[in-house]
Amino acid sequence: MNTNPEDQTRGDSTPFFHGDEPAPLSCNETASLCMKAARGAGMSWGMAEEAGFASAWLVAHCIDGPSCLYAHLERADGKVWGDLCPTITPTSWRNTADHAICPIILGATICDYADLPEGPRPDTTIQLGRVSMPILLVPFLAVLARKNALGITLKWADSSICINHDETWLEAAARHLTVQQLDLTLSVKAGQVQKANNQTALKSRTTAGTIAALNTLAMRTTVPASDASRSSAGSTLSDND
Amino acid sequence: MPVSKLNKTAEVRRFMRPASEVMRLERMGSSHPTRLSFLRILLRRLKSSDWQIDRPVWNVDAKGVGHGVYRVRSDERIYSLVAFAHDLPDEMRSDRVIATAWDATFTLFDGEPTPDDIARLAKNVPFQEAGRISPKELTLARANRSVRLFKHVVDALSEGRQPDASEMNAVGYLMRTTAVYGSGKFGASDREDIAQRPELSAPFQVEMLTVWLIRAFTVDIVEHMAAAKGGAGAVKLDRDTRRSLGVGNSTGLGMAPFIVRHPVLLNNWMLAREEALARVRAQTVAEPDAVLALNDVHASAMQNAVAWRSEHPVQVKKLQDLRRDLDLIADQLETFDWAVTRPWNELWSWGESTLTFEGQEALLALMLEPHGPLIDDLADHMGADEAACFRIDGAMSVADLRSVLEQSYGWALEIDFTTPENTARFWYVSEEKLEPRLGERATEEGASLEQPMCIARLVAELYATVQDYDHTKPVAALLLAHPEHRYAVRRVQITKNHSYAEVHDNLIAADMLPIDLLRCKLAYFGASQFDPRSDRWVRINLFAGAPFPGDINAESTL
Repeated sequence: MNTNPEDQTRGDSTPFFHGDEPAPLSCNETASLCMKAARGAGMSWGMAEEAGFASAWLVAHCIDGPSCLYAHLERADGKVWGDLCPTITPTSWRNTADHAICPIILGATICDYADLPEGPRPDTTIQLGRVSMPILLVPFLAVLARKNALGITLKWADSSICINHDETWLEAAARHLTVQQLDLTLSVKAGQVQKANNQTALKSRTTAGTIAALNTLAMRTTVPASDASRSSAGSTLSDND
Repeated sequence: MPVSKLNKTAEVRRFMRPASEVMRLERMGSSHPTRLSFLRILLRRLKSSDWQIDRPVWNVDAKGVGHGVYRVRSDERIYSLVAFAHDLPDEMRSDRVIATAWDATFTLFDGEPTPDDIARLAKNVPFQEAGRISPKELTLARANRSVRLFKHVVDALSEGRQPDASEMNAVGYLMRTTAVYGSGKFGASDREDIAQRPELSAPFQVEMLTVWLIRAFTVDIVEHMAAAKGGAGAVKLDRDTRRSLGVGNSTGLGMAPFIVRHPVLLNNWMLAREEALARVRAQTVAEPDAVLALNDVHASAMQNAVAWRSEHPVQVKKLQDLRRDLDLIADQLETFDWAVTRPWNELWSWGESTLTFEGQEALLALMLEPHGPLIDDLADHMGADEAACFRIDGAMSVADLRSVLEQSYGWALEIDFTTPENTARFWYVSEEKLEPRLGERATEEGASLEQPMCIARLVAELYATVQDYDHTKPVAALLLAHPEHRYAVRRVQITKNHSYAEVHDNLIAADMLPIDLLRCKLAYFGASQFDPRSDRWVRINLFAGAPFPGDINAESTL
């Protein structure tokens, strides 16, 4: 990989942030980089798309999703599915070996089970157990709360937040859930139908360090150059005409 | 409202072509632009909304180096193309995404740029991928001169004469763009943040506006350089000559994954066009004005086919087919009985049984052209809210998933993926340049890093798993046990409600032609001539024959 900062010949410009420079990414760039990094860290393509969704949702809501995702991927890198996924029973979704669950897998699976008896239906309480970087769970719960008109409460130790129609919870979520892991319980009540919120307000910036770290994971999905790949990439005729 | 709701009557529905016919690669690779192409939608919008267009800044020296600003104003909004003109040595000119310098670079600014904005953009836009733009910018683009024609036109105008018509026709543009980036790339505004604006709700409108204004810039810069060279004796381009010029574009493999990665969007493009064709076929009578207009657009298509040049053997054959088919259509129109019931459907049925794919798709474009009032509303349904289709329906039973697979993916399940010719290629991203490439599985390294482009094989693998899985279980349980199928399951559920979402072909087959994917997308942009430069690289011309900013309000039809 050519990391020369003057190299203009690569398909993205994110490696060109330096040091403490603010590093604003668009939501599209966030989703794309985070999906590739998640894939590079071992997620299936479909789950990596979920990682891209969650990170971009957080950026659109002024939370540094890419840094949160990297913090999780760094710890999950190389772990097998069984160590990262929930084991679903009617009251508990704890991982079989009580490992910290991947918040992307958990969030996507909660949405998959949204309309099933084992899932987050009104008046249910589910022990989630330990969840890695739990802020990454929030985008899934927020989308689900809106879609199924639910109030979803996350409880841990002696504290909780309720994801509902009143969006003041987001600031509290950012403050309390941006941590390595929490032992969580999820409880669900029927709520009000929520209005779609406007995401065009201030977007989060991330850091040059996070972008570099995610790029390192993302580069695992790429193939080193060969003469064959270079020669077949472009036109076989001159462009200078 | 989705297009499917508009398609109310069984009357129209029975004239819709099925996906099994429309979504084959060979037919997609014969696509022609229509009045629903994105540049046509832009031009109609610009005319109907009475936008004012001017050039408030022109700061370019005698060598053609400097910058200019093109401003497009309505009562509510301003968009400004900021153009930077450079002096590029010939040896640095390449159309590849890996080029490092260009003859001109551009950004479409959301509003009117201040001098501070221009200074910031001057430090970034000329460097393209090595710079950053901001949410105030909507696109980032660059263009190279057609060296031969550019020099010829500057020389001719500077000497007080018009350029040679045969030289103009042989190239067709003064500059060609080698990338036009939008949708949040390199820090630009996200599509989601601007898609609600009526003038930008159709696909690729900021990109089309950028290219249309670049076209004006290409003429301004040759006339400027001719004046600098020839002084008082220099002349400007004749209006008709100027109008024949388009903007060239070089496109490589990067465009192919887009088609595959945006299934809902692809569906909406195809559905709008197919609904338009069905509405025309369903007309019980032909209006005399429409028949007259059909003859006019056929004559234009004949001229276009004569002017269209390519050396690529695949395209040479397709051009022969097209020219022969347009002759056949001419013969048919001379004797056609427009008094029959559903004459447009009669004409279409004749074409289906007589013409090659090239001719059939050209006939489609011709038949849509005289029917603006009947079909132009479909342009409002070609965008897509992809986020709304992202969530998987985990409550669907595995039995239902299997049934969708069998009903909608028969074309994929029939492919034998154990044979070398059916798995000959693999799509990957190059580490060196981060661009999509296509490798040969038998001879190149890297197949373990294959991108999920071959939907047919992913779906066949899902089907194999589903056959052995408890059919009473929900999809949510299947995905917890088999997370590797999440990508394919999402596709299958999308296809259940979007029948034109998938390309019905094997995208890793030995004989697959990437230029077929490129041509389909470029036809939707509105390209009228396609010149493949290899099996994965194509040049086109955009906006040739279209009005310039000063002319648009006087146009009778667009």
